[in-house]
Amino acid sequence: MVRAGGGDEPEGRGTAPEGDDAARFSAMLEDSAVDLYENAPCGYLSTLMDGQIAKVNTTLLSWLGYRREELVGRRRFTDLLTVGGRLYHETHFAPLLSMQGEIGGIALELKAADGTRMPVLVTSTVKTSDDGQPLLIRTTLFDARDRRAYETELLRARQEAEEARREADRARRTAEEAHRAVEAERQRLQRLATTLQRTLLPPSLTAPAGLEVAAHYHIASADEVGGDFYDLFPLAHGSWGLFLGDVCGKGAAAAAVTSLARYTLRAAAVYDPDPVAVLANLNTVLTHEYEGTDPRFCTVLFGVLTPDRGTAGFELALAAGGHPPAILLRADGSARHLPTPGGQLIGVIPDPHIATTTVRLDPGDTVLLYTDGLTEAHTTPLGRTGGDGRYGDAALLDFTAALAPTTAPAAIAALQGLLDTLGSGVDDDTALLALSVPHPVSEPKQ
Amino acid sequence: MTDLRTTVRATPTGPVLEIAGDLDFHSAPGAREVLLGLAPGPGRLLVVDLTGLTFCDSTGITLLLAARNHAVGHQAHIALAGVPAQVARIFDITGLSRVFASYPTAEDAVDRWAARTES
Repeated sequence: MVRAGGGDEPEGRGTAPEGDDAARFSAMLEDSAVDLYENAPCGYLSTLMDGQIAKVNTTLLSWLGYRREELVGRRRFTDLLTVGGRLYHETHFAPLLSMQGEIGGIALELKAADGTRMPVLVTSTVKTSDDGQPLLIRTTLFDARDRRAYETELLRARQEAEEARREADRARRTAEEAHRAVEAERQRLQRLATTLQRTLLPPSLTAPAGLEVAAHYHIASADEVGGDFYDLFPLAHGSWGLFLGDVCGKGAAAAAVTSLARYTLRAAAVYDPDPVAVLANLNTVLTHEYEGTDPRFCTVLFGVLTPDRGTAGFELALAAGGHPPAILLRADGSARHLPTPGGQLIGVIPDPHIATTTVRLDPGDTVLLYTDGLTEAHTTPLGRTGGDGRYGDAALLDFTAALAPTTAPAAIAALQGLLDTLGSGVDDDTALLALSVPHPVSEPKQ
Repeated sequence: MTDLRTTVRATPTGPVLEIAGDLDFHSAPGAREVLLGLAPGPGRLLVVDLTGLTFCDSTGITLLLAARNHAVGHQAHIALAGVPAQVARIFDITGLSRVFASYPTAEDAVDRWAARTES
């Protein structure tokens, strides 16, 4: 902006160098003052106080496409504005200018001769006479097309950012919906797994006359069906069959084997209740059904309980196929494994060795059958070393020895507490089955 | 708990598969893939070296039985080497010690097999 010293002509002022150079410099500035006004990089406009155009520079004329004589003395400043600009001029620009004597940085739109619009930044000052009377209004107009383009660009960038945010929101909503669908599916599968698990276990165990029975099934994962199973059921002549086992693996494939094992054991026991014959039968079925690189086998204890007529006791004949030994807790407080060494996994080879043992259960005795989910529970936190980090057979024998003498329900309750203590360390399903011979009611407990 | 590592090397009598670490429900699928990729020729010996095995549950036993059936499917034979005491105890309980030929080291297994096939 050029500050005028007097009249309408701008003056060149400055600290000019001395001597010839100074004279040349001064002359150049004087010479260029008019040119500077006419061809300045901004528009200059002087109007009377009523807005009538008195003087306009070439730059502004070229922007608008008017000839000088079309404007000077014929048009007012507001005639150069768009309708919106005129309104703004009337309501804000002119009142502020007359009040303050100057106004700057106002964005307005000019309307060119050909009707096109041009954004400008307008600054006006009122020139007053020596006695303070307003004489005329000087206005500079800066081309704001670049700035408008910048603002348009900003707006576009903001719109793009908005769109990107909306897109992200949509993606997030889609992901959330997918997550909900997955979660619903997982819950559906959990329900399915729980239902399937229930079909693999007896709803409740009916205790033979003269025996107490308790069982517990610990589900390590709600997502997958485990392969443990047990049952207790009547056979002919007052004897009872019982079994407890563990099919390798988890999931639907293991559940199918568990189901097959359970029904085969019951059917085979009715056909020939000899424990070795029952397990041999199961072995035939499993080896026939599952071959190749997807072998399915199980470890199982099968027993036949026969009441000893004349006493309150029972005889338990046990056959083992690769299963951890049962634990016998005597009325006298002693505890020991019922070893069945050498009994081979059922379902691996055509003619497995099946180990047997027979034990007499008297009043106060308890026998416990379990699967290795308990003995192989992790006892050391992940990443820690020491021992093999598993609960182990010896620890279980010690734990149950402390219970003896006990009863089936008490032993199962204590072992449930143990499973709770081991917590997430129990990463495989665990089945527990306990049988005990109660003391006769008439006979005082020792 | 240690991660499972499997390595395979060739010997004059057939492949030796080394399985080290915990062989359980979580790690067995990876080892199984390695196992099924092996093709012991007819009449040859697949040695599964368990010297570095730190744990083996029923899934691990399934894998060893799958290895046995895999070898048999190729008209090959299988032997275990370096079965750790804890795993040997499980083998005793499950009767697997009577199913698998077992040697102190993979070299023993290979030497015995070589001697047997020469005679």
